[in-house]
Amino acid sequence: MNAVGRWLELVVGPFRASWRAGAGWTIAFVLLVVSTVAFWPAFKGSTALDAAFQALPQAMLEAFGLQDFATPAGYLRGGLYEVIVPLMFAAAGVTFANSATAGEEDAGRLELLLAQPIKRRAFLAGRSVAILGWIVGLAIVVLVAQLLSDAAFDLEIADSRVISTVVLCGLLGTVYAGLAIAIAGILARPGLVLSVGLGLSLVGYLVAALFPLSDVLAPWAHLSPWDWALGGDPLVNPAEAWRFGALVVPALALVFFGIVAFERRDIRSA
Amino acid sequence: MTLWTGPTYAQGVIETAGLPTEASADVPALRITGLVKDYGRVHAVRGIDLEVRRGEVFGFLGPNGAGKTTTIRCILDLLRPTAGRIEVLGLDPRSDGVAVRQRIAYVPGELRLPERQTGHQLVAAIARLRGGLPADRERELAERLGVDLSRRLRDLSSGNRRKVALLLAFLSNAELLVLDEPTNGLDPLMQHEFLRLAREAREAGTTIFLSSHVLSEVQRAADRVAVVRSGKIVAQGTVEELRGRARQRVDVWFLDAPPTAELALLPGIEDQLVEGHRFAAVLSGPIQPLLEVLARHPVVTMLVEEPDLDEAFLDLYEAAS
Repeated sequence: MNAVGRWLELVVGPFRASWRAGAGWTIAFVLLVVSTVAFWPAFKGSTALDAAFQALPQAMLEAFGLQDFATPAGYLRGGLYEVIVPLMFAAAGVTFANSATAGEEDAGRLELLLAQPIKRRAFLAGRSVAILGWIVGLAIVVLVAQLLSDAAFDLEIADSRVISTVVLCGLLGTVYAGLAIAIAGILARPGLVLSVGLGLSLVGYLVAALFPLSDVLAPWAHLSPWDWALGGDPLVNPAEAWRFGALVVPALALVFFGIVAFERRDIRSA
Repeated sequence: MTLWTGPTYAQGVIETAGLPTEASADVPALRITGLVKDYGRVHAVRGIDLEVRRGEVFGFLGPNGAGKTTTIRCILDLLRPTAGRIEVLGLDPRSDGVAVRQRIAYVPGELRLPERQTGHQLVAAIARLRGGLPADRERELAERLGVDLSRRLRDLSSGNRRKVALLLAFLSNAELLVLDEPTNGLDPLMQHEFLRLAREAREAGTTIFLSSHVLSEVQRAADRVAVVRSGKIVAQGTVEELRGRARQRVDVWFLDAPPTAELALLPGIEDQLVEGHRFAAVLSGPIQPLLEVLARHPVVTMLVEEPDLDEAFLDLYEAAS
């Protein structure tokens, strides 16, 4: 019973502490999804928009996910799931992780907690589970908002495509959350965690979106987690199983690295 | 390794008191050997050796930046020593961290508490992490310390936040309390209450490691004291021993002229002044040699100022620097 209570506190405590940020992200995701889908009837079957986009180079269209914009899958990809939603998941993952780890430590609030009978690895693992909980929660919110909006605004797309796309975006968020935990495991510098985490999120997108425009750089696009997550165009094609694994494994590896580093270093005081 | 049979908790009720068992009584509460902690080129702790006995209040005195907090954070395994060895209740805080921290409670000097929680919520969270804390004692301590646990911690003054931290420490029924500047921000009334709580805990068998730069507090509470300066222990002993090392002003009125030649030869005597039959001086170290000289001459009266720990402390600092 004591062990269960201890573990619950290690997970539920930081989860509860992030509720303001979680509520903010929830509102932002819902507003984004609903407002984007609400404009679908205006774009539905629009040949004029497609014709206007055709004036742009094909590679450019693909880089920003704007091909087939008048189709349901093309509209959702270009409006939500090519850039904004995955970037928001990455940003949410980094900010949740930062405030639960480096932010708390930098503020001196780990001093009293880590003086309690808990292992550092249990402490950071508990926080990692709490962060994962928020990302899962946000993925559910996005999924529900998307499916309800699709039904309300007559956007016809297979639920399975939406589910796999949202899950892949959520997993992309866990990779960047894992990265933030790994950096926080090494150093309690919230500014560094945020800048590197958010910076690499953006770099990941740019690598996956722009490298394919160059014959020389195109093969390197596969180094980006964005390519692993969304390279198969999951709103159009069934997502391959390896893509899920390709995101889960580095996320776990980064958290593990963060825990090992955190075990070995000094804890920063206020 | 010592098998711990100290306090156990179940559903918020302490089943046994935190008294050391016979088997563990021989093991010191804290033993530090050759502790060194460097931060790059900065040498925060330069080789500290000390031993804290079970059931005593041990004062750890020194000015800001002397290495007190660094030493304490090494004890709690929040910092990893560069060199040296620490044993807490016979255990290694690095390899047996959970077992060590189950048996100790800590009040940090720089106190940062979760601001959005209420005092009750913090106590409940720490109780879950420690496997339970006694609810009835929580109410009693809150009343004694005069702190409202229903208020959010961010709405409390720094003094009241410190009371919450002290409440948590005394509530834990730990065998060893590690208190870093525990009365910072407390009013004199609460400082007095803290000393009462510390005495009660000591009487119940708890060991207290009291780090402070408030000399009067240590003087009143501690059985033994270590004075630390620039990362090294410069003196260690009982409060009385430290006091004995302090310089004391001595005034003696002789019936005849003072035996100045004899007195000048005394060890540790300085700033001598002779005015008629009066002899005044400052004496460092034991007073016995002076008394032996006085016994051979008729003395009308004498006055020896009682040195306090402040004086001893400052003298030690001057000597060390």
